[in-house]
Amino acid sequence: MSKDFWRNETIAVMGGGAWGSVLVHLASAHVKEVRLWVRSEDIAREMNSTHQNSKYLPGLELRNNVRAFSEMSQLFDSPIRAILWVLPSRATRGRAKEMASFMTGEELIIHATKGVEEGTLKRVSTVLLEELPCLRVGALSGPNLAKEIADGEPAATVIASSYEEVIEAGTHILSSEKFSVFGGRDLIGVEWAGALKNILAIASGALDAIGMGRNVRALLISRGIAEMVRFGEAMGAQRETFLGLAGVGDLLATCSSDLSRNYRVGYRLGKNEKLTSIIRDIQSTAEGVRTTKYVWEYARERGILMPITHGVYQMIMGEASVEQVLDSLTESHFKSRLYEWKPA
Amino acid sequence: MGHTESQKKTIDSCALLRLTKDRPQVIQSLTRATTKSLDSYEKEMILAEALYTERSRLRNQKFKFTQISTLPRRWRDQKMWGSIHSGLLKSSGEVDRTDLLERVIKYYGDEIAGRFSPRVYDFATSAVPYGFNWLLNAASVKRFLPWKLTKNLESSLFIEGEVETLRKLEKKGTVLLVPTHQSNIDSILIGYLIYLMGLPPFAYGAGLNLFSNPILSFFMGNLGAYTVDRLKSNLIYKTTLKNYSMEILKRGTHSIFFPGGGRSRSGAIESQLKLGLLGTGLKAQIENYKREAQNPNIYIVPMVTSYHFVLEARSLIENYLIQEGKHRFVRVSDDSGPAMIQVFRFFWKFFSSQSNFTVRIGRPLDVFGNSVDEEGRSLDLQGRPIDPKKWLTTLGKLDHNLQRDEEYTKRLGEVLVDRFYEENVVLSSHWVAFSYLRALRKKYPDLDLYRFLRLSKNQTTIPFERFSEQARAVLLLLKRKEGEGKLHLSEAMRTQSFESLVQTGLKRLGNFHGVSVVEKQGELIWSGQMNLLYYYRNRLSGYGLSVKADQGHRFLRPGEKDEQGFLA
Repeated sequence: MSKDFWRNETIAVMGGGAWGSVLVHLASAHVKEVRLWVRSEDIAREMNSTHQNSKYLPGLELRNNVRAFSEMSQLFDSPIRAILWVLPSRATRGRAKEMASFMTGEELIIHATKGVEEGTLKRVSTVLLEELPCLRVGALSGPNLAKEIADGEPAATVIASSYEEVIEAGTHILSSEKFSVFGGRDLIGVEWAGALKNILAIASGALDAIGMGRNVRALLISRGIAEMVRFGEAMGAQRETFLGLAGVGDLLATCSSDLSRNYRVGYRLGKNEKLTSIIRDIQSTAEGVRTTKYVWEYARERGILMPITHGVYQMIMGEASVEQVLDSLTESHFKSRLYEWKPA
Repeated sequence: MGHTESQKKTIDSCALLRLTKDRPQVIQSLTRATTKSLDSYEKEMILAEALYTERSRLRNQKFKFTQISTLPRRWRDQKMWGSIHSGLLKSSGEVDRTDLLERVIKYYGDEIAGRFSPRVYDFATSAVPYGFNWLLNAASVKRFLPWKLTKNLESSLFIEGEVETLRKLEKKGTVLLVPTHQSNIDSILIGYLIYLMGLPPFAYGAGLNLFSNPILSFFMGNLGAYTVDRLKSNLIYKTTLKNYSMEILKRGTHSIFFPGGGRSRSGAIESQLKLGLLGTGLKAQIENYKREAQNPNIYIVPMVTSYHFVLEARSLIENYLIQEGKHRFVRVSDDSGPAMIQVFRFFWKFFSSQSNFTVRIGRPLDVFGNSVDEEGRSLDLQGRPIDPKKWLTTLGKLDHNLQRDEEYTKRLGEVLVDRFYEENVVLSSHWVAFSYLRALRKKYPDLDLYRFLRLSKNQTTIPFERFSEQARAVLLLLKRKEGEGKLHLSEAMRTQSFESLVQTGLKRLGNFHGVSVVEKQGELIWSGQMNLLYYYRNRLSGYGLSVKADQGHRFLRPGEKDEQGFLA
């Protein structure tokens, strides 16, 4: 029933980056029409004529039932039943405010933004709930490097929501032979896992830049997970979520892949490049940079032990080189502190 | 005190009266709906469960002579369950299980469904103010004269908040009034307040145990009360009760129920709500949409009552501490005299001290927990009107969806708890209790709650100055919280001087209990009633005002406890 329902419906995707384009492509196989909202009219026009996203994901052929728009009013000129939200966290509140007046409240929303709001540290779903006239919101997260999925490699993701119908809708809209969707109820955990792993991806890139081997990476991942769990639990997440696809899964993928923007930022930081020039060169957003700042400031205030995050923060702020951070970590935190810690 | 013409008209046209006239149809419809609700269960199993739990209940219920009037009900119950037993012993070919189930539901429905008699209502609303006023004025011979009697009840009741909105919404949809619950006096008080506000009578759920008193039973049974028996835990009963609540809301009958379940035992404002009955509002609204009812909306109106002292405080807090502390709680013998004397003392002091009740009507909510404006429109967090029908549409169809609706009700419960805290009116006695306990905790920072409650009078004696220091700090925090819309201060708390507030607070703090909860003599202050102190202090828990919050500990939500076991 559900599958048949979606076959006759139109959905919207907000954000035409690499991941947004992949989601558009996956969804277009299961719904009548996918309406993609992009910032620029030129990009919209180009996508509609070439059926490609040449800027962010060249080579992926989009189906004919995909239409790109840059005007919100046009996007909503026919009923939209579901919205996939793939905009950066920084743009979320503003765009949501803009979009709210076009919505009816019936729409199901799934966001795939791995970050938190600047300053407030609010999760993306919280921002959406505050700004949109909807309640049924979920989050999608997992080891999902856009290019690999676009190339047709097998992958899996998690959709978490308090509402089963959101999970069901996401499953019907996005599942394919190669792309599996799992459901979960821990929305807080999935969102925080997605945001926090970006910090570790930066750290991982930095370690690779100075030629560190697998032992150090394993150390980073295992202690990194502990750090994520500590912070996540303080925010109300469930520990188990961090052991699943959205936690360890995503961490392993991003910590070892130069396809990850955050990893690339870390790698170049490790090569002693300035953050400003790295950000300028990377065309899309590296959420981890902002997340590191806010998470570290929050954790420091509340006494949540996050030595790796602190190290990444120091690198981003130009306060220490990757070697100095590594020395300080191995000296003070990775020694005999496997399961217990005391605040410094 | 007779009714005015408009009051008569309100009563004659009220939904509660229609409900009484339609009682047989209501029970019939209830039976149908409940049978359908239980469709997915194996009938044999749920009937057997009901039979088992009901027989256990009847076996374990101790009979008291004072409950002699309940004997016929007991006999009826025994006969009913005897016949269900015989039915279940026969094969389903001989005795149809659906018939048996319908019989049980109908039996429960008949027990639950209330009646309303305008004549009894007329009598009660006239008698209540006389009764209250007699008590209010009992200490003053001068005001004991008949022509003075009717004036003073209203002046002792402070009704604040969204009264006008409530009056408007009552005409635009069905109101579900959800008060906080501290004392058994709440039901009478709220019933009378509804009358004072010029609203039609509301239906309300009352514990079946209260019906064992024949006089109370007569009044409640004729004033729209439906029975709720907490001893009946089987699925058929619980489903029938929920469906009854839904049925009467569907029929436009304004209702009251206490979402916290029973009275607050800790003294704190409710933080855990019973979502089952609360969710009947949403179910009724969906049904109303489906049958295209004229006024489909159900409005949830929070109400917070504030008292300086609560008759049952001693037993409530003891029950709470026994359950929470188990072996750690050591019960101290009660030296406050026989129960009847306590009750008499309570009423005497309650009214003779010219004490006042403060009742605050909170901002109304829709069934999802959104705010509602005076026009009855649901508003989103940005204050924009929304169409609730859209939130109830799944795969293009407006209908019930068990999982989704449970989440909506959970959200409503969370918002409602926040509203209870925001609408609470802080009285001087609450502030004194909270500040004194805070000062004492500064002296004994490492004691856990149960050791703390066993401090002797000498150990609780501290210089008044130390209390005063805490009281000033707490007052400052309270004023800040009021500015942020997190609570309300009583008129006295806002306007009186610090010294006079302390004096009033100390005087009123649970002073009917026979012994003062907190005493001051010269420059010293102490407590000989630590359990009661904790009870009254808890009214301000959940606001992040405790000594731990002050020391930078993580913010604990209402109902959470700190490391020493104190409600945060």
